[in-house]
Amino acid sequence: MGTARVVFDRWDGRYAERLGSVRSSAVRDLFAAASRSDMISFAGGMPEVRQVPTEAVAEAARDAILHEGAAALQYGSSDGRPQLRTIIVELMAEIGVRLGADELVVTAGAQQGLDLLAKTFLDPGDVIITEGPTYVGALQAFSAYQPQVICIPMDDDGMRVDLLADELARLGPRGAKFIYTIPNFQNPGGVTLTPERRRRLLELAREYDIPVIEDDPYGRLRFEGGHVKPLRALDDEVIYLGTFSKIFAPGLRLGWMTAPRPILAKVLLTKQAADLCGSAFAQVTAERYFTGTRWRKVLQGLTRTYAERRDVMLEALDEHFPPEARWTRPEGGFFVWVELPEFLDANAMLAEAVENGVTFVPGDGFFPDERGCNCMRLAFCYASPDDIREGVARLASVLEDRLELYRAFIAAGAISGGLREEGAA
Amino acid sequence: MSREKVAVLMGGRSLEREVSLASGERVVDALTSLGYRVLALDITPELVETLRAERPDCCYIALHGKDGEDGTIQELLEFLGIPYTGPGVTASALAWDKAVAKRLFLENDIPTPPWVTLTADAFKEAGAATALDLIPSVAGDYPLVVKPAKQGSALGLNRIDEASLLAEALLTALGYDDAAIIEKWIDGPELAVSVLNGLGGIEVLPPVEIVAKSGLFDFQAMYTQGETDYFVPARLQMSVFAEVERLARKVHELLGCRDVSRVDMVVGADGTPYVLECNTSPGMTQTSLLPMAAKAVGLSFQDVVERLTQAALSRRDSGTNFNTGV
Repeated sequence: MGTARVVFDRWDGRYAERLGSVRSSAVRDLFAAASRSDMISFAGGMPEVRQVPTEAVAEAARDAILHEGAAALQYGSSDGRPQLRTIIVELMAEIGVRLGADELVVTAGAQQGLDLLAKTFLDPGDVIITEGPTYVGALQAFSAYQPQVICIPMDDDGMRVDLLADELARLGPRGAKFIYTIPNFQNPGGVTLTPERRRRLLELAREYDIPVIEDDPYGRLRFEGGHVKPLRALDDEVIYLGTFSKIFAPGLRLGWMTAPRPILAKVLLTKQAADLCGSAFAQVTAERYFTGTRWRKVLQGLTRTYAERRDVMLEALDEHFPPEARWTRPEGGFFVWVELPEFLDANAMLAEAVENGVTFVPGDGFFPDERGCNCMRLAFCYASPDDIREGVARLASVLEDRLELYRAFIAAGAISGGLREEGAA
Repeated sequence: MSREKVAVLMGGRSLEREVSLASGERVVDALTSLGYRVLALDITPELVETLRAERPDCCYIALHGKDGEDGTIQELLEFLGIPYTGPGVTASALAWDKAVAKRLFLENDIPTPPWVTLTADAFKEAGAATALDLIPSVAGDYPLVVKPAKQGSALGLNRIDEASLLAEALLTALGYDDAAIIEKWIDGPELAVSVLNGLGGIEVLPPVEIVAKSGLFDFQAMYTQGETDYFVPARLQMSVFAEVERLARKVHELLGCRDVSRVDMVVGADGTPYVLECNTSPGMTQTSLLPMAAKAVGLSFQDVVERLTQAALSRRDSGTNFNTGV
């Protein structure tokens, strides 16, 4: 009897090598998708689109077709419609960034911007610098171009720029292709880079001549405290990524990138190859929404909703979570980052959590390496306040169960206790 | 005229819910094209009510993991008087608890790697963590495998090469079950040997050889296409083949499995096959091992589903379903 190798995918072996570096975690995917109806999810960072007035959006879409059908249904320019770019210029002016409509390009969400920048800048083996932990979608977009990712730890004030300085000193001038940062209410850390550190980060970037990519999806979702100027407002060489996903709706897939003109020209070339141009229909609809509706009121309502949910989650964590855990206290955005004692594996805990009807994202997905296993990201943006209270209580009982075992191991001297000092967010 | 009504039970609350839904979907398709009237049922608080109202002729159990594989659902269906596919309550419960199954293997001269079982309570209440240094004297030298005693799809399983990693691996395994098995790692080809009861008695299908590219056939390797190579039949010497078949048959009979089981083994350097565990509700997904083995002997996915369903239906009037046994 001959042996036959079983073939599931007969194209296996013919895919590009770079796809080998893009991996998703099967465990995470399965659990994140856990579809039980009684599941409370702290997993996905999904905007509360139920609060976006569908009537107004329907009208905007209707107008887009009826009044600008010829444009909305046609190809458009690669950098986006001038009308929408004008709106973006105004949005940017509100956060302290002055620029012309020809200094930006409309993208399919900020996510496309990440992919285009990676495609524009990265050759295999290039060094890039990110916060650690960082946005998993950015890691995915970057890893397809096979860079070496260096993660700079954070504390409550955002990226540790002192450690960044050390790293840059080691790498030398132009030692990295870019520094990627989410300075406001970081995903997943929830922390915000302080004004002092922003200035220091830019100084270092100038000193070592390394471009900075500022990803700012949550900047307008501030619950308290004063507005902090974006990096782009302090230095016009910063590449800035904005999105309509959090101030309108992610379903339209609209975002934008501003960058120095030479970079923008290269990005436009890669964008033309990627999609010729973005969706004109989505752009016209967004123009109508931002000129013809009370979108600011909607955004204020959304921000109030997220703020209330943040409050509820922090209260519940204070009440239920054990002293061995610590977590960030975000002033905006969607996420709380929880750090547990080093030997606790959040993936293993997720199993028990799912059985108890609550999900979250284990921390290791937010690092390019094995770090973060003892951490979890909790999204407070989507669950109702009652569900948040219940979900945190469920999670706490799972955690308590784990900790009882953990303490027994410590008491026996089988492991050493305490939180890991470096890598804290 | 359409055939009998079959309720396919899938989903549930176990960690393998998504795997089960994938299995169940394929089973539903197969049964439908075979002409059965098919009900796809998730495990919800309304399940019993639905079963009583719908009165299916049998249930096809496409559940994996706790509840579906540990005898819980089997016991419930016995109570309701509905015949079901696969092994009965006792066999399910014995096979599901690897710590118990391994004891039975040992007592019945079925080679299984040396091991230690430790429960969470042994750590919490009796200070078992002070005795981790003794483990190699019982389970053998490193590398060792640490895994939950009761869990499917290799969830919570880790191979460790040195003592310093043992505590962490135990904490992980105990995240999936209240008992952990620490077992000697046998370096050699891993085999999945499917057993089907047919008209002519027990039929052992060709063993499938599993080669995980990462070296460890864990959850990731199991369900990600391209992470694992499979060879059917396994690339073994003829003498080993015979031993593998004998052992699979013996395990199937020892645990009292009926209809179907999948016995997982690893072949040591000296050619000895060691039995790791027995699964009573083998996966039926796109990448699952039982359908793969069946295909090698000319049995299609539909053939397997038909055979298991007919076996369940044959127990409708015989009463053999109600002795909770074989």
